[in-house]
Amino acid sequence: MRGLAIAVAFALTLGAGAAKAEDLVSTVSNPNIAITSNFDGETLSLFGNVEPDSNQVAAKGPYDVIIVITGPSVDRVARLKTNNFGLWMNTEQVEFNPFPTYFHVLSSNPLLKITDEQILEANRILPDAQARVSAVPQSLHVERFGAELIRLMSAKGLFGQNEVGVKFLSPTAYVAQLTLPGDITNGLFITQTYLFKDGKLLAKRGDSFAVNKTGFERFLFTSAQEYPLLYGLTCVLLAIGTGWLGGVIFRR
Amino acid sequence: MIGGTAAFRFLSQPSPRALQIYLPIAALSMNLFFLVGIGAAVGFLSGLFGVGGGFLLTPLLIFSGVPASVAVSSVTGQVAAASTSGALSYWRRGTIDLHLATYLILSSIIGVFFGVATFSALRAAGQLDLVISVAYLIVLGSIGTIMMNEAVRALLKRRAGIVVREKLPSQHTWIHGLPMRIRFKKSKLYISVLPVLAIGLVIGFLGSLLGIGGGFIVVPALVYLLRVPGNIVVGTTLLQMLAMMSATIILQSVQSQSVDIMLAFCLMVGGTIGAQFGASAGQYLRGDQLRFLLAALVLAVAIRFGVSLVLPPADAFSMAVIGAGGIV
Repeated sequence: MRGLAIAVAFALTLGAGAAKAEDLVSTVSNPNIAITSNFDGETLSLFGNVEPDSNQVAAKGPYDVIIVITGPSVDRVARLKTNNFGLWMNTEQVEFNPFPTYFHVLSSNPLLKITDEQILEANRILPDAQARVSAVPQSLHVERFGAELIRLMSAKGLFGQNEVGVKFLSPTAYVAQLTLPGDITNGLFITQTYLFKDGKLLAKRGDSFAVNKTGFERFLFTSAQEYPLLYGLTCVLLAIGTGWLGGVIFRR
Repeated sequence: MIGGTAAFRFLSQPSPRALQIYLPIAALSMNLFFLVGIGAAVGFLSGLFGVGGGFLLTPLLIFSGVPASVAVSSVTGQVAAASTSGALSYWRRGTIDLHLATYLILSSIIGVFFGVATFSALRAAGQLDLVISVAYLIVLGSIGTIMMNEAVRALLKRRAGIVVREKLPSQHTWIHGLPMRIRFKKSKLYISVLPVLAIGLVIGFLGSLLGIGGGFIVVPALVYLLRVPGNIVVGTTLLQMLAMMSATIILQSVQSQSVDIMLAFCLMVGGTIGAQFGASAGQYLRGDQLRFLLAALVLAVAIRFGVSLVLPPADAFSMAVIGAGGIV
């Protein structure tokens, strides 16, 4: 009986909180990104506005926004080379599956100024959290290999963090620029936007955009995956054709 | 050699003005002229020396940043194209021993099965790059040393004024005493089929694992071990190489999806053109000089692999995608 009363009271405060807090509207400038043969990166904009709560006339800041962009996941492995009898070879490895192929965090201020570590950790906002949850087996090396994997991904521009990536145009409207590198994996990218005020998480919103390899390269890639035998035969015919043509043209 | 690699990487990197081509399987953008260019350069050398050029092209691609697995599989396409033009011209001259080629082809395709299976297993274990480097070091190092030794001796003899007769000793070795003898009419040979099959098996395995046609191994093996006549050996080897490389392309496509058709095509076009100029340039050099240069080149590639194995890597950590779609 007492437990039920507490639950009801908790639900009431939660409900009241939801009615009171500000909300967020957000969108992505280009929901479909096509990668063609001369693709060398694309910039897209993420923008939105803080909506006032039901009791307010206008939303009052200052607000902070964190946007987390996550690409499709694959199974990845990080390997360490060590010197054995004079030869450098891969000796240790940790698997991370699934691990995002793309992970960027954009924010309007340094993350720890916006909120505390518990909230960042709970929402998996930091890249390290991605490595921690996906590592198999959960060994002692996970921290080290995870950090190295994130470093390698960052070097390719696939992981990153920009603490001035979100700009407020007015007290409530924000915009963020995101530049995608040329070698991203196609699939669905999720953008999760978090609204903070005084260190408290007020609202969360998810959007998405799709990255698609279009054109001839995409066709070749899917053919290699889906019709490997036909793809191989085509390669052989192409080789014989080219060689034959060369032989006929030059007649040696 | 290391500085050369850095310059090489710079050339192969995407630059906004140059014509970039996206390689769908390697998943990287490369300069079209760079790819056709190294195809042509290696094609020139292969025309000059009468070799397939896979042993140069695969390392060059690896050193310029193409994943080893994609480099090995895609170069097979270039070798297939190069051996087609070669085999075609020997076919017109009628200097191919079809009977001998059939035995070599069948055994080399069995070797290819083992080679491709080993390739996949090594890649999954993360040891493919290491094995490719060690195998290149051993194969090219030993072949290069033998060739260099022979070429230097020939050069010294010529300088001393001794007339070198390029005639093989006619005595029989233990190889000619093996059972299951077969008559190869075109080659005028009556020899055991076992060494023929063994040569095919070994070259099929090595060729598919390392992305080489293996002409520089098969030709000496057929000439020195089996006494196949010089006018027959090249055309027969080219035909065998064509069949073996075709089988490798198909098996690699099915097994590891690491054949990049775009990369292979760029290399083929460059290689076919380059080979023509190499073949005409070869007429101005003497045989022993050519062999000396080829030996030096083979040794240089072997040393480059040796250095990469011994020197500490720029980055001890690496990453790879595993499972479906995992190429890098």
